[in-house]
Amino acid sequence: MKKLWKLVSSMLMMAMVVALMIPKTVLAADAKDMRLVYAQVPSDWANPCVWAWNEDGDSAYAAWPGEAMDADANNDGWYYLYVPSWANHVIINANAGEVQTGELVLEDGNAWITVTDGETFEASTEQQTKGEIPEYEETFKIHAKVDGSWENPGLWAWSAPDGTNAFEAWPGKAMTADGDWFTAKAPTWINSIIINANEGGVQTEDISVDPAELWVTVAEDGTCELSYVDPEKAAIPNITVHVKAPADWDAPNLWAWSAPDGTNVFTTWPGEALEADGEWLTKEIPGWVNAIIVNGNGGEVQTADISIDTGKDVWVVVSSADDYELFYEEPATTESASTDVTGTGSEEKSGKSNAAPIAGGVAGVAVIAGAAAVIANKKKKSA
Amino acid sequence: MKKRVISLLMAVSVMTGLTLSGCGNTSSAASDPSTIVIWHDKEDAVAEVLQEQLNTLNPDVQVVLEKKSDLTESLKMVGNDPNSAPDMYIFAHDKIGVYAEMGILSPITDIIPQEELDVYMDETIDAATYKGEIYQLPIYYETLLFMYNRLYMKDDEVPTTTEELYQYMQENTAGGHYGFVEQHSTPYYAAGWINGFGGQILDSDGNANLDSTEVIDALNYHKKFVELMPGETEYATVNTLFSSGMAHATIAGPWMIPTVKENGMDVGVAAMPTIDETGTPIAPYMGVQGVQVLRNAAEKKHDSVEKVLRVLMDPEVEVKLAAASGCAPANESCYDLDEIKNDEVVMMMKQTADHAVPMSNRPEMDVMWTVLGNLLTDVNMSDKDVTESVKSAQAQAESLIESMR
Repeated sequence: MKKLWKLVSSMLMMAMVVALMIPKTVLAADAKDMRLVYAQVPSDWANPCVWAWNEDGDSAYAAWPGEAMDADANNDGWYYLYVPSWANHVIINANAGEVQTGELVLEDGNAWITVTDGETFEASTEQQTKGEIPEYEETFKIHAKVDGSWENPGLWAWSAPDGTNAFEAWPGKAMTADGDWFTAKAPTWINSIIINANEGGVQTEDISVDPAELWVTVAEDGTCELSYVDPEKAAIPNITVHVKAPADWDAPNLWAWSAPDGTNVFTTWPGEALEADGEWLTKEIPGWVNAIIVNGNGGEVQTADISIDTGKDVWVVVSSADDYELFYEEPATTESASTDVTGTGSEEKSGKSNAAPIAGGVAGVAVIAGAAAVIANKKKKSA
Repeated sequence: MKKRVISLLMAVSVMTGLTLSGCGNTSSAASDPSTIVIWHDKEDAVAEVLQEQLNTLNPDVQVVLEKKSDLTESLKMVGNDPNSAPDMYIFAHDKIGVYAEMGILSPITDIIPQEELDVYMDETIDAATYKGEIYQLPIYYETLLFMYNRLYMKDDEVPTTTEELYQYMQENTAGGHYGFVEQHSTPYYAAGWINGFGGQILDSDGNANLDSTEVIDALNYHKKFVELMPGETEYATVNTLFSSGMAHATIAGPWMIPTVKENGMDVGVAAMPTIDETGTPIAPYMGVQGVQVLRNAAEKKHDSVEKVLRVLMDPEVEVKLAAASGCAPANESCYDLDEIKNDEVVMMMKQTADHAVPMSNRPEMDVMWTVLGNLLTDVNMSDKDVTESVKSAQAQAESLIESMR
């Protein structure tokens, strides 16, 4: 069970790294940082969404078609969504992005957009809807993949232990289909959910949650697994590491992990033995690995940290502790040039750098206590 | 034994000084008694405040702040060469012993009467003292802080004891989220648990002290917390987990707060949980940042050096540093000022400092960082027996220290 947890945890960690590479996402915002975008769309426009960005090209949402709008129960045909104020360029789309308006550049303040069709649309800062506009409430997404017998899944959410419900009546909020998953949003003040279906006829147990985007996989009997990382993204296939080590390195091993989260593949240094496979030594490891060390003599000699692309087989030719070459295709010959331990040369060979996007994700943690950093960097090697 | 340490350090210093003499850019400043060169490794916000304050000495004294990423190694190499060495440097107190043994430092009390240093917190003066001499004028200090993400952990849920913390971790570690993360196998961070058990990594005479009951108890107790954290917890790992919302709480340095706030996190700081086993809070190391004077400058530029020190003794400098970069003032009187009293992070560091332990400033500590790091890896990541691992580490530390001497 512990091993399973470690595996799941490792996969989640990798997905966390992927998430950090998303250019700009909404993390948390005050109402003052948001604008309300209303849209009245044609009746054949289902599940309208907003795609929004700024003039620098920063997107408010990770992927097209953007963020789903909520129907306004008091104004038939109108949908609304709070959008970050900085993202003043918007497109309204629907039917999973198959129909859309052109680009609208919004003025400051809330916006009411009337869409006649994909070619005819206009925006106004004057309120076009009746009644009070909905107050901004920070929300997060809950995704559920349910058994085929579960129809029209819904979300019930509340705050424990006080019992305040997020939605008016059971079975709660209908979840919107998106591929194999269903999605609904809940306010960040809730901490408990139930996924249900068949008009509330089937349901999960109470699930304690953090107010952060999450994925719940539900079996037919209602048992479920919770993850804060998209399981689809985490499911990167295994890769094979091919190694040629110096002849005087006895019993070469592979040490592998995910940076910067540091999830190790093997429990103890120096890792696991590379196995002879033709003229190469090989080892299959999880595809989320992006850093490896080849070592020998029970870990007494080793390469520097070698950054690799996730999800790609690699070939590493180690000439000495200080020199290695990295390839993403089997090299024709492996007896020529060597690379310095920084791996710069290997990046040139592979044509891209692993380090860049990860470094970007952790740019804010560059300041470091010197002593702590030195020890941390040496930890794997000295284990 | 002591002579051998000094001789070795001197030899390195002289040889490298000879090699590098003429390479530095301080040689012209070296002969000008009205120019003071200060090396530092500080962030821009801190350097800007210091430079602005030191510019008030113009034109009487010109102060040049030079940022050096390899400050400690450079000082070892050129510290004895007046043409290449700076006149002063600003750095944490923990290297004082090394440079004092090299003979390149001047006691601050050669320039500022000791009674004028009474305005500083006792802990900061203790940290600045090596073998009875005060080698640093403290400016500010840092301690690790207990931080939490208010989106997940409400103020009334903040654990006040380690058992409450453990329960919180059990209840909130699931699906890739962690109730609490820390750099559990990095010595600087693990030291808080060891200190909280009354253990010492290095005693005041520079002897390794890893095989004490207190250290063994601390490592054994800490393991159950480690089991609820990711296997590898390096600096980037922990900070990324916390700043990206994958962990509810952490123990980290104050330098992390601007980053997480920029990410939109409503971050809280709280007192360190009290260890139930001992009744003492987790007691992190304290690092005191201050200015040290090199012997050559103290002898040849005494008046200019004194003017610089007196500018840096102005409490207003420390108040500005607190505002600019969350630095906790070393001058006790600053804590009577509203600007400081209203700074939640600085005041929490002050509270944490009541139990914090100044890092040892002895040269032997360099050995201990490495040995303790390996010990923590063995115990926390390789699941080796604590008592056996401690014995092995103690023997290794003793051997390395003996070789060093």
